[in-house]
Amino acid sequence: MSTHEKFINFSKPFIDGAKNVFKTMVFSELEHGKPQLKSNPIAKGDISAIMGLSGKLIKDGQETTFKGMFVMSFPESTYCKVASAMLMEEHSEITDDIIDVGAELTNIITGNAKKNLNPDGYFLDMSTPSTVSGKDHKVNYPSNTIVIMIPMNSSHGEFFIELCYQDG
Amino acid sequence: MPLKQDAKIIIIDDMQTMRKIIKNMLLKMGHKNLEEADDGIPGWEMIQNAHESGKPYDLIISDWNMPGMTGIDLLKKIRSTDAYKKMPFLMVTAEAEQQNVIIAVKAGVSNFIVKPFSAVQLQDKIDKIFK
Repeated sequence: MSTHEKFINFSKPFIDGAKNVFKTMVFSELEHGKPQLKSNPIAKGDISAIMGLSGKLIKDGQETTFKGMFVMSFPESTYCKVASAMLMEEHSEITDDIIDVGAELTNIITGNAKKNLNPDGYFLDMSTPSTVSGKDHKVNYPSNTIVIMIPMNSSHGEFFIELCYQDG
Repeated sequence: MPLKQDAKIIIIDDMQTMRKIIKNMLLKMGHKNLEEADDGIPGWEMIQNAHESGKPYDLIISDWNMPGMTGIDLLKKIRSTDAYKKMPFLMVTAEAEQQNVIIAVKAGVSNFIVKPFSAVQLQDKIDKIFK
């Protein structure tokens, strides 16, 4: 299986997980846009939640390892509306009260994806998510990796999922 | 017997967001006697203090993955202490794999809820503990 095929197999459970989590806990249906290759480290949003990934792939009796990253990057307005819906209280700016909403979302979505990756032979280890914020903040991906960005639309506004996957 | 509205409940999670979500869901169900801890270590202390003060918790709702003391370690600690052997314990986790359920059941969990969940699902899991 090529790295490209592995990337597609690996990405789908994260998109499905995001849709499931938003429907249940953010009370919003999600639609995904066309995935795009991302060539620079500047995040599209004002705040990004980052989950580092690693694990093993068992396919046709062979075991290999992989690394990756799952990132959710939100414009401030979307982030506040998502946080307000999830916490059932109004928030109009990013404060300490809602700073870990994005991290919790990446945690839940990765947990969902982890289970759904198992049948394809992926066994994922989750890390503790982190948060970066500020205009034009950077997300540092490992060098020489392909990063795809998927625009996501919700009733609370647009945000972006970024994923990278690497053998080894 | 269903959980009473004035039941004393502790929510243990390192993520403020999830504590707040669970708290707001419980408030909507009519529960007001709610306390929080941001890790298993302070949670364990609060459980012991509550017991010693003669007002033990009626329900523990704890996350699995926490940096200091995990939910599963907290559960094992509770179940290995005579005074807390039967204390209702609802485990919350983001990881839905079957092996996690088996580990939690073996450790004596009262019930198990996988994120994401709705208020209705949380109520149902609590009801099943106290039916």
